[in-house]
Amino acid sequence: MDLMAPLDRYREIVPDFQAFRAVQSLPLYSSARINTLKIKREALLGRLEEAGVPYQCFSWYPLGLKLDAASPGKLLENLLGNIHIQEELSMAPPLVLDPRPGEMVLDLCASPGSKTTQISQMMEDRGLVVANEPSLARVAALRSNCERLGAMNVAITRYDGRMFPRGSFDRVLVDAPCSSEGRERRGPGTLTRCNAVRSRELHVLQVGLLKSALRLAKPGGVVVYSTCTYAPEENELVVQEALGHDDQSGQSGCPGFRLEKVVLPGLLECPGITEWEGRSLSPDMNRTARYYPHLNDTGGFYIARIVKE
Amino acid sequence: MPGSSRNRVRNVFEPIEPLRVAKLWLERFGMGIEAFSGLQFFKKANSIWAISEGDLPRYSYESLGMRIMSCKDRPWKPTTAALQVLGRHASKNLVHLERAEALLFLQGASQSLPEYCNPDACQPGYVVVFYRGDALGCGLYSHGMLVSQIPKERRMESRSEEQL
Repeated sequence: MDLMAPLDRYREIVPDFQAFRAVQSLPLYSSARINTLKIKREALLGRLEEAGVPYQCFSWYPLGLKLDAASPGKLLENLLGNIHIQEELSMAPPLVLDPRPGEMVLDLCASPGSKTTQISQMMEDRGLVVANEPSLARVAALRSNCERLGAMNVAITRYDGRMFPRGSFDRVLVDAPCSSEGRERRGPGTLTRCNAVRSRELHVLQVGLLKSALRLAKPGGVVVYSTCTYAPEENELVVQEALGHDDQSGQSGCPGFRLEKVVLPGLLECPGITEWEGRSLSPDMNRTARYYPHLNDTGGFYIARIVKE
Repeated sequence: MPGSSRNRVRNVFEPIEPLRVAKLWLERFGMGIEAFSGLQFFKKANSIWAISEGDLPRYSYESLGMRIMSCKDRPWKPTTAALQVLGRHASKNLVHLERAEALLFLQGASQSLPEYCNPDACQPGYVVVFYRGDALGCGLYSHGMLVSQIPKERRMESRSEEQL
């Protein structure tokens, strides 16, 4: 059985498809984020050197590290909350969200809190991050990570994200539940559970979550939508539908919302697709970003940045 | 709060005066009020929580910031998470461990309080445990023993000495 077969429907949209397919069986290195709520970058790097833990800094994000350790989660620095084990591209959505100290931010699908705590550290513990997670079981991990990392400006709620009560947030992150195709290098076998039918089922939930986020952002506020999957049904088609684009005419510019170009210097992105299975999408979808594992030696991700006018 | 245990326990977050919290930490750990600047405090059930100052929209919250202490029993107990953040402000009931003993503590073990820790400087009860200047978390000092209070999910494995 060809375990990579679920990827074959992306042959036309992924550049250098054979390399994309081949890289899936290469395991991903461990990576971690330096938690500046507890330690300064230089001090942490000094400690890793002293402990003899080999590391390499990301080229695109000074607080991201590749770690060469058998069980990075058991490092003293992790137990003390000086680092957080987090996949490289998982550090990208908070940077696109770009929260500032003192703001009011909503993380609609927060557990296990990697992005929540990154947002908290970008806000220097000032302002408020409302971290929403409906599942009680998943709240435990979220709370544990927030407390270990010393994130003091995070309040946890447990609403269904699609029905989150009214709000007026400066920024909202929707790191949506997804089929996680981009995690194959982390968890081999992930792809075997992926197919277009499952993606279309997730699409309904994802559109509901993104529409809720658009409602909860204040005028001028920013909404970031991200997944760790390649399926257009879970990415561009979600943004397209939530923004109410007219898919027949391909007309761009939904009143009230504007897609902004996603660029992270040092990471290679591909523009979001504007056509899928013979259907034209809004040309603005090329402002969203697809990150592929063979282009950056990472997992896979999709990120869209929307401004509410 | 100690002294109010006969009050009914309510499962909602209620604001609590920072000075009431600070007084307890001053008594036990010699911590000044400045350790708590920028924080606001809430009580829920038998725990006290601290979160950054600022407006809180009216939602139903599962947690607010960090659970910093439990008042379920006497004496009140600080959380390891809180001591890792606030412990550096403490000036009494501190234990500074060396490598081997710090490792045992992080593994969740009980041990005799080492001679070099000057047991006379500690009153029985909860103490802040340090290693190389880092507050590792909460210990219980009683009858010459130091009992680790590190939560299970944050303990080191017993074979991980090379990582300390």
